[in-house]
Amino acid sequence: MNCDELREKSADYLARELDEKSLGEARGHLADCAACREELEGLSAIWTKLGVLPKEQPGSALRSRFYEMLQAYMEGLAKNQERRGLGQTLSDWLGRLMPRKPAYQLALSFVLIAAGLGSGYLLSVRPRSAARTEVAGLKGEVDDMRRIVAVSLLKQASPSERLMGVSWSARIDRPGDEIIQALVETLNNDPNVSVRLAAVDALYLFYDHPEVKEGLIDSLAGQRSPLVQISLINLLVEIRERRAAEALERLIRDENLNPKVKKRAELGLVQLS
Amino acid sequence: MKTIIRLAGIMILLWAAGLADNAQESQADHAVVSFSNPAKPGTVEVDISEGSITVRGYEGKDVIIDARWRERILTREELEEQEALPDAEEEVDQEELARKKAQAEKAKGMKMLEVESMGLSVEEEENVIQVNVEEGKRAVDLLIQVPFSTSLRLSCRDDERGVTVEGVSGEIEVDTGDGPIVLTDVSGPVVADSSDGEIKAVFGKVTPGKPMSFSSMDGDIDITLPSAVKASLKMKTDEGQIFTDFDVQLTPSQQKKEEDERKEGGGYRVAFEKVTLGLINGGGAEIQLTTYDGNIYIRKAK
Repeated sequence: MNCDELREKSADYLARELDEKSLGEARGHLADCAACREELEGLSAIWTKLGVLPKEQPGSALRSRFYEMLQAYMEGLAKNQERRGLGQTLSDWLGRLMPRKPAYQLALSFVLIAAGLGSGYLLSVRPRSAARTEVAGLKGEVDDMRRIVAVSLLKQASPSERLMGVSWSARIDRPGDEIIQALVETLNNDPNVSVRLAAVDALYLFYDHPEVKEGLIDSLAGQRSPLVQISLINLLVEIRERRAAEALERLIRDENLNPKVKKRAELGLVQLS
Repeated sequence: MKTIIRLAGIMILLWAAGLADNAQESQADHAVVSFSNPAKPGTVEVDISEGSITVRGYEGKDVIIDARWRERILTREELEEQEALPDAEEEVDQEELARKKAQAEKAKGMKMLEVESMGLSVEEEENVIQVNVEEGKRAVDLLIQVPFSTSLRLSCRDDERGVTVEGVSGEIEVDTGDGPIVLTDVSGPVVADSSDGEIKAVFGKVTPGKPMSFSSMDGDIDITLPSAVKASLKMKTDEGQIFTDFDVQLTPSQQKKEEDERKEGGGYRVAFEKVTLGLINGGGAEIQLTTYDGNIYIRKAK
């Protein structure tokens, strides 16, 4: 088996749908070819990640809507066929309605445009709100998916994957408690400074969520990295969280505090008061 | 003439001291360890408090570790601390002091034997090689050679020499205290944090789609990326500046966007005004660059 053949079979290989013979050949090629091995491992990583996602199942509403649409389309098609013979007489008749003088033609077209715009506006009001609920529903579904991906990524061993988890969380429009808790947990316990920094930024987007402010204030006392401390202070000042003043005072009293953080915290106290 | 002789004398002394130093440093440990599954890229983990870590990619399957133990040289602060100690501790622990005095009395006229327990241990489990160094003895300089595709988790908490990585294409997670982080010819996702050290990273290529992050409280961050890289930069410096020769398309920070969706039951979002968002070649995986006092340099590879 060569590289191209393997590439063709890689999906089957990952899905474990290769027969004995092809599987043996694929393994043989993989053992010798580093490039294919690397590619397949990359694919398999994505494959496992996709496996985490729930299968999208069309709802029953979707099914009935689809058949309604199909029905309507068929009816429309049937009517068109009937009309085909009438086409010529219809256009003659319409032609007779048209005024002969260009001035009247112009006036008529203005009237028609105005009527079109008016009825278009009237007709569009209702469907737009319907469309809005539909979009909201879709948004909700996307949110659900992002939530699942984000939470599972936040648990990965690699800090790069956890960073990805934080950025997925930040893309959720309406995070549930689950995401907020996962982010606060990351902020407090993630061993990596970069991931904690990213978590501060992500939580900032959701600061109007009741649990977030509490979580941020509580977190300040437990942070050891000066950069994370400064990020948190910036954020608490930015959102004018008055209850943070107490936490800042406590932080300033800490003798081991980095002098730059201390300066920032003192400035923060002034800004908050 | 007299001064010249004196100078020469001092220089000879220094040279001799240097020799002695070298002799001390040449005490080295050497270990070769293989991964349990060499066909799969492995991971090397190192966590030391004092010393430096240098990792190089090489064409081979084993991990080769060389440890050189440094003569313990006290910093000026440590020296002052030591001199100040007797006064400070006088009241605190008279008993302990008396004991030390008695011990010094017993050792009179004798010299201390340097007991060399090298204290390097290496473990391998499920393709992860862990390098351990006995704590608190002496600073150690580690040179580790690894297969190119190895992933690294390196931590060097308290030293000025820091961490150096060359030619490794796996994922790299590294943190240092004071020491610099220097990465050359790397390509995997990098997450590098330093309290006070500079971070320099030169990427040969960039594994697409993987977020990266570099952060330092006081140090500059200097990264070099291939000119065709697609990346979304999230840059933040409180006191420093940002420089680049890339054509970075700055996107307005979310602060200015202020989406107000409250009427529709949504949220109200603002973001840090200190964050600068920029896209290179249309944007891609996120690269987070955070420093308080340092500058940020984003260079295009030549």
